[in-house]
Amino acid sequence: MIVRQGLVIGIPLLLASIIQVTLLSRLGLPGATPDLLVVTVVAVALAMGPVQGAFAGFLAGAIIDVSPPSDTVVGVNSIVYLAIGFVAGYVVDNRDRTVFGMIVIVGLSCAAASLGTAIVDSILGSPRVLWDSVPLITLSSALYGALLAPVVVPLMEWLTKKLAPEVLLEG
Amino acid sequence: MLSRRTRIALAVLVVASLTFVILDLRGGEGPLSSARSAVSAVTGLLQRGAATVFSPVTSAGDWWSTWRNQAGQIAELRAENRELERAVRESASDRARADALDELLRVATAGRYRVLPAEVIAVGPAQDYAWTVTIDAGSLDGIEREMTVINGQGLVGRVLKVNQTTSTVVLLVDASAAVGGRVATTEEIGIVAGTGRQDSLDFQLLDPLAELVIGDSLVTFGSRGGRPYAPGVPIGEVVDITGTAGQLTRVATVRPFVDVSQLSIVGVVVRPPREDPRDSVLPPREEQQGQDEQQGQDEQAGDEANNDDANDDVNNEDANNDDDANNDDANVDDGASTEENTP
Repeated sequence: MIVRQGLVIGIPLLLASIIQVTLLSRLGLPGATPDLLVVTVVAVALAMGPVQGAFAGFLAGAIIDVSPPSDTVVGVNSIVYLAIGFVAGYVVDNRDRTVFGMIVIVGLSCAAASLGTAIVDSILGSPRVLWDSVPLITLSSALYGALLAPVVVPLMEWLTKKLAPEVLLEG
Repeated sequence: MLSRRTRIALAVLVVASLTFVILDLRGGEGPLSSARSAVSAVTGLLQRGAATVFSPVTSAGDWWSTWRNQAGQIAELRAENRELERAVRESASDRARADALDELLRVATAGRYRVLPAEVIAVGPAQDYAWTVTIDAGSLDGIEREMTVINGQGLVGRVLKVNQTTSTVVLLVDASAAVGGRVATTEEIGIVAGTGRQDSLDFQLLDPLAELVIGDSLVTFGSRGGRPYAPGVPIGEVVDITGTAGQLTRVATVRPFVDVSQLSIVGVVVRPPREDPRDSVLPPREEQQGQDEQQGQDEQAGDEANNDDANDDVNNEDANNDDDANNDDANVDDGASTEENTP
């Protein structure tokens, strides 16, 4: 059961990370790269709950940190995404969930992710963070996340219902 | 039996027929031929009108007999059309790839670099602020760490990590990247560092008193053993200088020749050249400017020769030769510029 839940979380995250670096980051969109990985993490948190969300965040961060072409400190994204996955699953009350609320929570999570990694990276002494482009990156990331949410969140919910119904939160 | 009237009528008709035969066999102009042409003119007109009226009906027979064929032909043409459309779409991207490879080949040949072509298959997300890409060649293809990566425009970056079939390349514009640069015209050296922005690099001259002007081109100085940076690879063009000569914090902004947002085909320098190619790899635009200047000087020299020694045959010949040379140069220039315009 645990293994099946892990696969239901892990395989979409792996696909999301591959799509993110081979397609989304090459589109050359202004500002940030659409953060499909964070959207998927939040989708897991909304479908399954805070613990699964935190696990998904950890896994997503680990995938993006160790897979090429990443050159960031391994673990930075894990910490940030873990927190986001947990908080997103914790604050959302499933009994009064709306589409608008879902889009807002995904957008906020994407903004928090790009801001959070920038902060943790500069605390760790990375020379790369460009603070004057952080606002643009954060805002555009939130926007792209909000656009991806209506596709990814229902898809994740459907996957959970089909493959791991025991953890699906009833809305 | 036949009645008398009938017999007479038959006899008259037979005689008339025979008369016609005899008259026609006799040939030549006669009442018969004119009657014939008059009648045939009328019937001919009638026939043409009837043919026009009936043509849809007659051609319908034709259409009907080939109906099955046409259906087959339409299907065949549709399939062919799809095939051609696909070929057209693919040829555009094929041509772009071929152009990129051509450019790479030009640079590799000019600098005598032995390169291994590869394609960028993944790019790090922008919110990591790291300019790293994955290429589809790895240790199995002979890629090693700290090899120089170039493309048809100039320096792309260096190999950071190598897997079996892929490698990670850190681009020159990444904030952690730094390369020794040399000013192409003045031979001054300094350090080019990435800023994390895709359109600017920082260049700091080692000699703060050295002369530097906007528009100067930079090439790599070359690392020991050609790693991580092979010598002579074009880096970029100076677009802005802050500070004055002699100031310690004199930094020039350099616009890289390589557009990192458009990276597709790159080449990994698996063996650097034996000799520093100096400035020979710089883009043709720069060479063209050089030629233009030279050409201008030649023209001036020619003019002076004409003015000073107009009567001297030898000098006139020299001037003519100069003109010829100029014409040649101009032709070369035209060729270069059309080549540039073509893509």
